[in-house]
Amino acid sequence: MPATNLLQGTLDLLILKALALTEMHGLAISHRIAQITDGTFQVKPGSLFPALHRMEEAGWLSSAWGESENKRRAKFYRLTAAGRRQFETEARQWKTIALAIASALQAS
Amino acid sequence: MTLLSRLASLRRNLFARPGVERDLDDELRAYLDQLTEEKRRAGMSAAEARRAARIELGGLEQVKEEVRQARAGRMLEEILQDLRYGVRTLRRNPAFTAAAVLALALGIGTNTAMFSVAYGILLRPLPYAGAERVAVVYLRYFPRDFAFGTMCIRDYLMWKENNRAFEDPSLFRSLRMDIGGSEGAPEQVQGASVTVGFFSTLKVRPLIGRIFAAGEDQPVTGSLAVLSESIWRRRFAASSAVLGQTILVNGVPATVIGVMPGVFRFPRRDTEVWTNLPLNPPARYGPWFYRGVARLKPGVTLQQAQVEANHIGQRMMQQNPYYKHLTLPVLSLRDAFLGTTLKPAVLVLAGAVALVLLIAVVNVANLMLARATLREREMALRLSLGAGRGRLVRQLLTESVLLAVMGGAAGLALAWGGIELIRAWNPGNLPLIDSVRLDGGAFGFMLLVSMLTGVLFGLAPALQSARADLNSTLKEGGRAGAASQTRGRTRAALVVSEIAVSLMLLVGAGLLLRSFVNLERVTGGFSTPPRQILTMLISPSSPKYNDAGAFFAYYDEVVRRARRVPGVETAALTDALPPDRQGDADSFAIEGQPLAPGEINPIISDVSVGPDFFRALGIPLVRGRYFTDNDNPDSAPVAIVSEGFARRFLPNREPLGKRIGYGERWMEIVGVVGNVKYLGLTADTDPAYYMPFAQAYGPRMFLGPQLYLTVRSSGDAARLAAALRRDIQSIDPGVTLAQIGTMEQALTLSVSQPRFDTMLLTLFAGIALLLAAVGIYGLVAYSVAQRTHEIGVRMALGAAQADVVRMVVRQGASLAAIGIGLGLGGSCVLTRLLKTMLFGVGVTDGLTFAAAPLGLMLVVLLATSLPALRAARISPVLALRYE
Repeated sequence: MPATNLLQGTLDLLILKALALTEMHGLAISHRIAQITDGTFQVKPGSLFPALHRMEEAGWLSSAWGESENKRRAKFYRLTAAGRRQFETEARQWKTIALAIASALQAS
Repeated sequence: MTLLSRLASLRRNLFARPGVERDLDDELRAYLDQLTEEKRRAGMSAAEARRAARIELGGLEQVKEEVRQARAGRMLEEILQDLRYGVRTLRRNPAFTAAAVLALALGIGTNTAMFSVAYGILLRPLPYAGAERVAVVYLRYFPRDFAFGTMCIRDYLMWKENNRAFEDPSLFRSLRMDIGGSEGAPEQVQGASVTVGFFSTLKVRPLIGRIFAAGEDQPVTGSLAVLSESIWRRRFAASSAVLGQTILVNGVPATVIGVMPGVFRFPRRDTEVWTNLPLNPPARYGPWFYRGVARLKPGVTLQQAQVEANHIGQRMMQQNPYYKHLTLPVLSLRDAFLGTTLKPAVLVLAGAVALVLLIAVVNVANLMLARATLREREMALRLSLGAGRGRLVRQLLTESVLLAVMGGAAGLALAWGGIELIRAWNPGNLPLIDSVRLDGGAFGFMLLVSMLTGVLFGLAPALQSARADLNSTLKEGGRAGAASQTRGRTRAALVVSEIAVSLMLLVGAGLLLRSFVNLERVTGGFSTPPRQILTMLISPSSPKYNDAGAFFAYYDEVVRRARRVPGVETAALTDALPPDRQGDADSFAIEGQPLAPGEINPIISDVSVGPDFFRALGIPLVRGRYFTDNDNPDSAPVAIVSEGFARRFLPNREPLGKRIGYGERWMEIVGVVGNVKYLGLTADTDPAYYMPFAQAYGPRMFLGPQLYLTVRSSGDAARLAAALRRDIQSIDPGVTLAQIGTMEQALTLSVSQPRFDTMLLTLFAGIALLLAAVGIYGLVAYSVAQRTHEIGVRMALGAAQADVVRMVVRQGASLAAIGIGLGLGGSCVLTRLLKTMLFGVGVTDGLTFAAAPLGLMLVVLLATSLPALRAARISPVLALRYE
């Protein structure tokens, strides 16, 4: 799947998943997504930042300036309680849909 | 939670924008730094790493824009941006803005004013609780035959007895009353005599005191009076001590029991006193003075009530064979107020004003299209720089709505002024004028109309602009291209429609003008110049004038004193006056001319007049003689009939010497006079017969003691008013004088509603004509400006100035010709709506249908001649260098 054509819901879910364990800055999030999807999704800044800001405005993420691993200033994002709930809901929905689509495709 | 968070973001995005933007910038720069650092660590040189990182980021500004798009309140922010941009654009083009705002202000302003008038008159709830359930009930029957005639108390009792549809029906009568007492000099006011249930039927509460109670219609009760707020303030200083006070009503003591609030104005707008009507069952039919008013029972409709009233009418006819073709018309309270002519007139005017708005919108759309051509390059540039087409349309629409709202605001001021003018002047003597005002409803209407017009005139130009073909536009360098050709055709079509619509308005106004001129030409049947006639209503209502001797002595003295006033040529008494002050009406028989069994002559005006009445008004004598002082109670009864009477009831026979009367009293016809209108100028000629006042005491006394004094002066009659009033008042200060005015004023008042309709429609047509002229001028001027080059070439090749003028004028004239053709077709259909408003002119009046197009064409030629002359002055040398 071409990275530019990411479904909005898919990108949101991937960002939520990436941030599920720890807080991260933008670059780390895109690396993390590439890593956990085995390089299938290469999230460009033009998609990543609008999504991060939108999700922050929705109250799922909170952000704070901090210092990166190589001692540079960076903005860090982490899940809020609402974000965690959102992640669980979306993950559950995704699994249901994925199962349904898979069985639909296997049907003869 | 989510919502709260979003609202907080919205607030931040809108009000702390610089901070939000700086933060975003920092964040992206930090990201870029990190990416560069990463690349460098992977082995790139510093410069290489920076380049690669930038490429991967894909443009700092684009990313920022993407983030902004995702933010909350993006839409609002863009609208604010568009508004700011719109205001700047409009400010840069003051001529365009002023022209558009003026056109819109005229269109929206007239519409808002007309909306307020129409709403106030036709829709605004009357200030009585549940007034829509109240109906007024009339009596229509032959031989009287008035569409909304009056009933007598016997009819009322019969109706009441058989009524199921209404709650307890009430009865009322309007009449003049003399109010006098210890509180001040006697005064003549409009009064009403009403049954005790009247106020409870209308559900009005008194300001102070009480209303009539059940049973207070018996002779033992005595007279009770309820006052209006206006007379209470004027004569009793708004004191609550008025309750229980005794005042004199027509010289008879009455006890004041209550005061009605100022909003209560029924049965007439100027009613100031209501007295209780004694309801002793009368021995015979008549007099027919009364109308019914009643509230529908729950669940009963007006139609059902009408059906029931028709049944009751059938029974009335069975009981009294005198009635023929009897019906009981039932009208809602509002329709009773409005009468039959006002509603269609208001609707026609509202329609006309909507057409004016249409023309204004077309005009502004035209301006916008012209400007769109000039802005083609701006739009193309913005599109090529990445603006979305939707975004461009939105921005252009914002501009036009902004323009429309500015026009609306100016229009609101115009409407306010117009309504104040109409209210202060009340030219049509409009009923319900008190409920016409500019309020929240009108404001909402103005806003809605502004928005709609903004979208209407903005959408087409905006869509066209956003469709622009980038390559060709930028290459053309702004010269007329394919897009502006389409626009040219659209503009031409708009101007054609403008011309067509203005022609329809012009034809309508022309018809009303012709009709009004006809009305003004109707004389009423008398030849003395109206400004030389002064009339007043004299009311010797005190019981001492119940004696015939005192009554005649008083009026003899009135005439004697009036004649002595310098400037008075003739003075006479009468109980009816043209054009619309009918006195008595009665049936009659012609001696020796038996009617078929059960037949009866119609009820017509019978007028009691002093000997000089005909001379005072200048009513021509056709045969025989006028009355003289010798026609007195001691001499044989005589009568004079009108020409119409003679033609209708004594056709081909000598009227003189015939006797008319009612069986026991026969009057010899001694003269025939010209027809006079007593039922309004537009009414058909109504036959009448006259009796000498001195012989008519018995037959007419139940009408009351009021008579009109009519004087003819040698000059302007209005100047005599003060002296006459003083001299007549001095005979008996207790007698009241009212309605002092010239015949000229009475005539003006009687045609005030047609005048109102005509003036407004003419005004609207004038505005339409102006807008259309400006529209066609703009189109032609613009095309001349665009064709400067071409015209220069033509002139260089030998075209004369006259050829150029002809060419330009032909362009405007051919558009106008198409518009006029369409407009004539539309007029044929639309003028039918004017039918009931016209007097003495057909809906397809040839003169109007010829004059209106001619006038319009003339205006069009005038409007096109200006740019044509400018075109002729084009210097070929300069024109070829142009561009």
